[in-house]
Amino acid sequence: MAHIPDGVLSNPVLMAGAAVSLAGVALGLRELDPVKVPKVAVLSAVLFVAALVHFPVGLSSVHLLLNGLAGIVLGPAVFPAMLVALLLQAVLFGFGGLVVLGVNTMTMAVPALVAGSLFRRLWRNGGSPRRASLLGAVAGGGAVLLTALMVALVLTLSGREFATAARLVVLTHLPVMVIEAAFTAAAIALLARVKPELLA
Amino acid sequence: MKLPLILAALLLVAAPAQAHKLKVFATAEGAVIVGTVYFSGGDKAMAVAGVVTGPDGTVAGRVITDRDGIFRFTAHSRMDHTITMDAGDGHMATTVIAAAELPPSLPQEQVGGPQEQVGGPQEQVGWPQEQVGWPQEQVGGATPPPARQTAAGEAITPETVETAVARQIGPLRRQLDAYEDQVRLHDILGGIGIIFGLFGTAAWLSVRRQTP
Repeated sequence: MAHIPDGVLSNPVLMAGAAVSLAGVALGLRELDPVKVPKVAVLSAVLFVAALVHFPVGLSSVHLLLNGLAGIVLGPAVFPAMLVALLLQAVLFGFGGLVVLGVNTMTMAVPALVAGSLFRRLWRNGGSPRRASLLGAVAGGGAVLLTALMVALVLTLSGREFATAARLVVLTHLPVMVIEAAFTAAAIALLARVKPELLA
Repeated sequence: MKLPLILAALLLVAAPAQAHKLKVFATAEGAVIVGTVYFSGGDKAMAVAGVVTGPDGTVAGRVITDRDGIFRFTAHSRMDHTITMDAGDGHMATTVIAAAELPPSLPQEQVGGPQEQVGGPQEQVGWPQEQVGWPQEQVGGATPPPARQTAAGEAITPETVETAVARQIGPLRRQLDAYEDQVRLHDILGGIGIIFGLFGTAAWLSVRRQTP
């Protein structure tokens, strides 16, 4: 759902999204020292691939967003990572338009940043892996929910009815939220056990 | 034990809309434009509304997909029909049926009355027309090629030939469309390569800037 095509959103929404994403990317790049660059590259590749792997479930097929996980590990650097991943998805596969890249980056990266900050504040490098995985589940699921709400909001601001858009977007994201929460919990628990400095 | 059950229930409830993009594939079957709307995974898009517009942007009619993701629209004039499908959740797809795909017997450039058509239960969808080589210049005044008779007594007109040939190549066109849409491993690997190359270059440049 972070793949809104061109021609759906209105110009003011497009410009606002581009501005927010630009500010986010600038912030992310400013805080990025060369030592952290490989980490950003790996997470960017993970974000790029995550949306391509479909899990067939029931009649439907879903894919993960993994923005919660990326936000926890990267902090503000999630903006450049997300921008690169979405740009390549748009160019190589036509997932989402190029003009809406700013909005798509915003709807994915802002929830990631919020989830990541919340996780860091609550965990403070001190909890057990179990606590970390619980917080990871909340951050992973919450980031997906927030992304869905932001997508509904940008659609509303472009002239659609909020109730309809929100119902459609949030409903289709419920299974993703659950899977994402489980996946993020597992990944964070592993990180907390094996490489806790990544979460600090 | 409850969690897997809840998970399974949620997955069954979910509409098959979690996909990257909406696709619409339409062809003209005589004067009837038949299209399928689906998500990039291949799931049919049910009850998706669409608008049919002429070359000047006037609305020629509205369509809505049935349970199989199929819609039908009867063209009333020979013009470019632009079909825009909108799933309402940010997914949108557009396709154009060129005037040349529609039968020459239709009047030129007249917007038909608005109408809504839901696809019937037909198994087969959309047969393309434009590859069939009856000269289009004949439209208008010239006499059509002489009609022949089959053994059963049916007249063979250019239009029946067009429909028959189009029926044969329809599956091929749909297969091509699906093939084009596939995500391929070399694209994925190439993308990952670009990401690492990009960030690697960034790290290299910033390190070079720091060490005089």
